[in-house]
Amino acid sequence: MPSVTVTSDIRAIVLEVAASPGQSVVAGQDLVVLESMKMEIPVAAPTAGIVSEVLVAAGDEVDEGRAVATLEVPGA
Amino acid sequence: MTWQDELADADRRRALTREMGGPERVARQKSQGKLTARERLDGLFDPGSFHEIGDLSGYAEYGDDGALERLTASSVLFGRGLIDGRLAIASANDFTVRAPDAAGLRKSNAAERTALAMRVPLVRMVDGFGGSVRTLEAIGRTYVPDNPGWEHILANLAAVPVVALGLGTIAGLHTARLVASHYSVMVRGVSHMFMAGPPVLARMGKTYTKEELGGADLQAKAGAVDDVVDSEAEAFERTRRFLSFLPPSVHELPPRAEPRDDPGRRDEWLLDAIPRNRRRVYDPRRVVAALVDNGDFFEVGRAFGGSVITGLARFNGWPAALMASNPHVYGGGWTAEAAQKVARFVDFADTFHLPVVNLVDIPGFVIGQEAEMAGTVRHGARALSAVYQTRSPWCSVILRKAFGVAGAGHTDHSRVQHRYAWPSADWGSMPMEGGIEAAYRAEIDAAPDRAAKVAEIEARLNRVRSPLRTAEYFLVEEMIDPRDTRRVLCTFADMTAKLRQAGPTSFGPRP
Repeated sequence: MPSVTVTSDIRAIVLEVAASPGQSVVAGQDLVVLESMKMEIPVAAPTAGIVSEVLVAAGDEVDEGRAVATLEVPGA
Repeated sequence: MTWQDELADADRRRALTREMGGPERVARQKSQGKLTARERLDGLFDPGSFHEIGDLSGYAEYGDDGALERLTASSVLFGRGLIDGRLAIASANDFTVRAPDAAGLRKSNAAERTALAMRVPLVRMVDGFGGSVRTLEAIGRTYVPDNPGWEHILANLAAVPVVALGLGTIAGLHTARLVASHYSVMVRGVSHMFMAGPPVLARMGKTYTKEELGGADLQAKAGAVDDVVDSEAEAFERTRRFLSFLPPSVHELPPRAEPRDDPGRRDEWLLDAIPRNRRRVYDPRRVVAALVDNGDFFEVGRAFGGSVITGLARFNGWPAALMASNPHVYGGGWTAEAAQKVARFVDFADTFHLPVVNLVDIPGFVIGQEAEMAGTVRHGARALSAVYQTRSPWCSVILRKAFGVAGAGHTDHSRVQHRYAWPSADWGSMPMEGGIEAAYRAEIDAAPDRAAKVAEIEARLNRVRSPLRTAEYFLVEEMIDPRDTRRVLCTFADMTAKLRQAGPTSFGPRP
């Protein structure tokens, strides 16, 4: 199955991890919630798939472009 | 039949130039998934409307008897044609031609000058990487470099809509020709752009693929070009749509389309669009779609400076430039890149007499050491200056936050305001959440329970936070039901249409 890497668009702190490896997610579902400018900013799955890895933990600092999770996308 | 022989000779020459760089090179161009220059011109213009100018130009070779032996096409094609029925000029580099080019630069300049003189849009189809040091040996000398044609390129930026399409591997002066436009597009996988390509960098010990060094997505994210598409056909389609919002030149006003959407249409969802929890985001593109005519929004530059969304739309048929904060990117806070995007977009709207609709949710500039190191304040000050210099009619709708210097930059406060607040509006010199600790330090330090004291102060402040208290002092003009936003924006466009002034601005936008 092809793999999709999901990245953060922003520099932020990880507030919460909202998905775990093995979990099926739909397109638009939150994988990780970041905090920036006092806002809770979700990083959503760009497509439906199965979470293979979550690459960050709550409290981590992430930079723009940093990979936060990978998805396996069936049949893509 | 006096001139029959000459006409026959001209026809024969035309047939030769139509072969472009020859069957082998044309086949190679097509095997790379690229259209030829002639297919590009045919694909851009309305069917059958392309009229070539300079169709006899090329590199000729004559025999000892003076008879033409070969004529290789020029590497630049240009002409006029119709785009959705409106006259435009387009030029296209023909990358299949590798012969010396006696006419290329003159044709390239003629394309630029014709658009300026005719006061019609220019579409530049760029495919090529310019000079080679081999030329030096051929001409037997070096030269002080210049940028041929730049004076025309710059003049056009201030005069006619310029769209540039990156349709191959682009380096050298061609990179500047691509980005010196009002709207630039690259085709994913087919187009690459760099100031110097992989072979040059390999000599410096750095190995890159063309995609890694200058792929379309990289250049769009860097803000060097505006958009990325998946095919040349899509690039032509986006060109047509972009131009549909604009006048043929700065000497005319943007054309109103037949209104096809009810200006009083109310989208019920808008009342629930903004969450009560101030830390939660919402979908700004859904808000935009609910407000513009037919939900039709032509977004420009999505990959760059993402805390501000920019694009073109219509309100009751009137073309408008629309900006909207995007809370998903830094909460809508202005980064250096977002500020650059705002400045360029506002200048563009001013140049082509588009009214500006600004949907505001700006918590301020993005803060932190990285933001300082990016020179955010310099770019921010330029953006504010663009907002204060524009003559375009301007309407702000404050959806949620307007804080600090960047938030204040939602409008030129010294103009008469077309300004509306949603009930979710929240504004001030700085957000309360960050300021309580600093402003009430003594009171908090003296309290037995610090957290309880902070909460108590916050509750006090929240009572004065209502936008209705601001409205009592006429510090904001109106609060509206979000569902009425489309109606007020259409009225704004109707009322201010007559204030738009045709003519050149005091200076043109810089790329």
